[in-house]
Amino acid sequence: MTRRLLFALPCALAVLIAVSPAIAKPLTVALNADIRSSNPGVNRDDNTDGVILNVVEGLVAYGEDARVKPLLAKSYEVSDDGLTYTFSLREGVKFHNGAEMTAADVLWSWNRYMDPKTEWRCLPEFDGRNRLKVVSAEAPDAHTFVMKLNEPSALFLATMARTDCAMTAILHKDSVKADGSWDKPIGTGPFIFGEWKRGEYVTLNPFHDYQSPPGEKPDGYVGSKRPLIDEAKFLIVPDAATVKAAVVGGSLDVAQVADSDVAELRQSPALDISTPQVATKHTFLFQTRDPLLSNVKLRQAIAAALDMKQIVAAASNGLGTVNNSAVPPTSAYFDEVQRQGYSHDLQRAKALLAEAGYKGEEITILANQRVAMPSYPAAVMAQAMMQAAGINARIEVLEWATQLDRYQTGRYQMQSFSYSSRLDPALSYEQFSGPKDEQPRKVWENPKALDLIDQAYVISNEEKRGKIFDALHRMMIEDTPLIILYNGVDSVAYSKRVQGYSTWEGKPRLWEVSVAD
Amino acid sequence: MLRFAVTRILMAVPTLLIVAIAVFALIRLVPGDPASLMLGDLADATSLASLRHNLGLDRPLPVQFAIWFQNALSGDLGRSITSDQAVLPLVIERFWVSAKVVMAAVIFASLVAVPAGMIAAWRQNSALDVALVAVSTLLLSVPTFWLGLLLLLFFGLKLGWLPVVGYVSFSDDPWRALLYLIMPVMTLFLHEIGVLMRMARASALEVLRLDYITHARAKGLSESVVLWRHAFKNAFAPTWTLIGLMLGNLLGGIAVVETVFTIPGLGRLLVDSIFARDYPVIQGCMLFIAVIYVLVNLVVDLLYPMFDPRVTAE
Repeated sequence: MTRRLLFALPCALAVLIAVSPAIAKPLTVALNADIRSSNPGVNRDDNTDGVILNVVEGLVAYGEDARVKPLLAKSYEVSDDGLTYTFSLREGVKFHNGAEMTAADVLWSWNRYMDPKTEWRCLPEFDGRNRLKVVSAEAPDAHTFVMKLNEPSALFLATMARTDCAMTAILHKDSVKADGSWDKPIGTGPFIFGEWKRGEYVTLNPFHDYQSPPGEKPDGYVGSKRPLIDEAKFLIVPDAATVKAAVVGGSLDVAQVADSDVAELRQSPALDISTPQVATKHTFLFQTRDPLLSNVKLRQAIAAALDMKQIVAAASNGLGTVNNSAVPPTSAYFDEVQRQGYSHDLQRAKALLAEAGYKGEEITILANQRVAMPSYPAAVMAQAMMQAAGINARIEVLEWATQLDRYQTGRYQMQSFSYSSRLDPALSYEQFSGPKDEQPRKVWENPKALDLIDQAYVISNEEKRGKIFDALHRMMIEDTPLIILYNGVDSVAYSKRVQGYSTWEGKPRLWEVSVAD
Repeated sequence: MLRFAVTRILMAVPTLLIVAIAVFALIRLVPGDPASLMLGDLADATSLASLRHNLGLDRPLPVQFAIWFQNALSGDLGRSITSDQAVLPLVIERFWVSAKVVMAAVIFASLVAVPAGMIAAWRQNSALDVALVAVSTLLLSVPTFWLGLLLLLFFGLKLGWLPVVGYVSFSDDPWRALLYLIMPVMTLFLHEIGVLMRMARASALEVLRLDYITHARAKGLSESVVLWRHAFKNAFAPTWTLIGLMLGNLLGGIAVVETVFTIPGLGRLLVDSIFARDYPVIQGCMLFIAVIYVLVNLVVDLLYPMFDPRVTAE
């Protein structure tokens, strides 16, 4: 009986597998969590942006050199006073429902974003709350869109192109229901939003009438963007070990993998691995209003105690490169000045500690153990190096939501923290600079630095901006309100049957991707 | 019987009330703010305040609880903070996914473990008994996530028989749904079999030593009649209680198995909601799990007299 059972079970399984109908395999891409919504720039996170930006497009978008370039706009002109932006739209661009995109759609989309009821994430950037205000938007003819600002801004287009603003995507008005509530995105992107089964998957289908912007190859979110695959399926796989098994076994075509798995996965003959750098910043933050750490000498001593190369090598499994600057290395503003960072000097650290009058008081480093973030390993390395210099450092490990709460309220001494990506240096500096009385999460409140950042918001001239960022970098290294360690690495494993795939800024780009049978 | 059931249901009311209050209070004592998590590392104070206001999180806690409780009494458990879905349909949808895995695993585990436990007790101290006890102890000791990963590597990667990731519901494609459920069910089955076999063996050992079994044997009844007709019912009663507790426990808590096998079940929903501080979903899940626990144990108690005639549902 037992023998029969042992024989029957595998047979039954084999029959079950054999009778399952063969289904054409789409390109499967792993997501570690479900998307928040399909509403661009509203209820979103990084996963949401990554999926939705295959579906929708804005007037302008970032290229890989971190410069803003036209996307749905053919070109744009800025008036001499810097207050009027005139966009000429590309002709023949169609929405997924077949309608042709005109300036009326751009105006409708803009007005929807500016309506507080939409709850667009980037509304404060354009309604005057953060200085810049769009005072008017008009569509004088079918292919021209004009926006007027309250003051000149070097960041107007850069903010419109931000991925967390969903590129200020242009949508067809049928994206919302008759009662004004959100339905689904009808955009102009290379893929049509397909089926979303919450907690399971999202599918995208190619848009065969897609009009690609000019270019030989993909360039950030511009360049050639032809949809070449029959279907893409974003599968939600929360467990890192399952992702690894599935990508090795061929159940997943593309997956973000842990940095620690890269060396092993490189050995797999069926996989290609890419590890592009992104503009996220892994840092150590100091609470400069802490009784101990308000002393700049102590902060400088900690910086001198840290061997950045070793920390970065350990935290990124040898994939990252030290960058103490807030300017990402891909930026046109990254120059020799930005390369000057902190140097590891134990003797100097000890001398600075003596100057600071440090007497062995405890310094707590907050960290979390999120899989994708190097918070904990970086903190462990820093703790050991600080102790070697005579600093009484301890680590407090928190769950991410708790650490984020302590960050927002400023209740910490030091923390190992990662900032999301900002491509323009002014936006990157703004992430951590500002008055703590109004925004306790801010780290650097040097009035001179804040003034320089304000100038970088307004001045468009690249040379002048470059000088501002150089000055800011020198001041930041001197003040040491935080230590920027390195920019993130996006480790991606993909099947060899996939051709032309690349992520950019950690987001999957499905255009110009083909799949071999 | 009816009076017993009604009394038990009424007794559950204060339990559920305490669960509602405790979950509401405890999750808010945990640091972390759903608005801050939604807006991320760059939330400015104005946007945070605005979102907190829109989500009703700026109201005093007793007011928030009163509104939630009043709505819950009318069957409205609110809407998810992160996905804006209605909580009750979401919880029920996810519950059925978990229930399929759990019910299948517990039924199969019971069918195998109870007879195996009885046989082990019947042949106490034999090589078979030692082997069965060793296997059950091993299965009991292996963590489910590790067991799941081993199955995944063997059947999914090595043999390539079963899909490694994804989930298909029975309504979409029954055949493929079955394929996707085999490994998670097998993981739970193998883990629970250890618990049940040990319980069934211990109960059977106790019963087999009683006088009425000796009497049955003295009458000249065959061993199989003694074992299955006389010993089984009394020996199964404590195991039945354990199955009830196990079902209640698993129906609300197979998050690990669901995470490893990418099953969109109730456990994963609860864990994801805790990380996102999605208060309405956490409260809804916990309350639902408490109700399921109460109901499963009520059913177990009502069926108990079937196995042990000494117990009456009065």
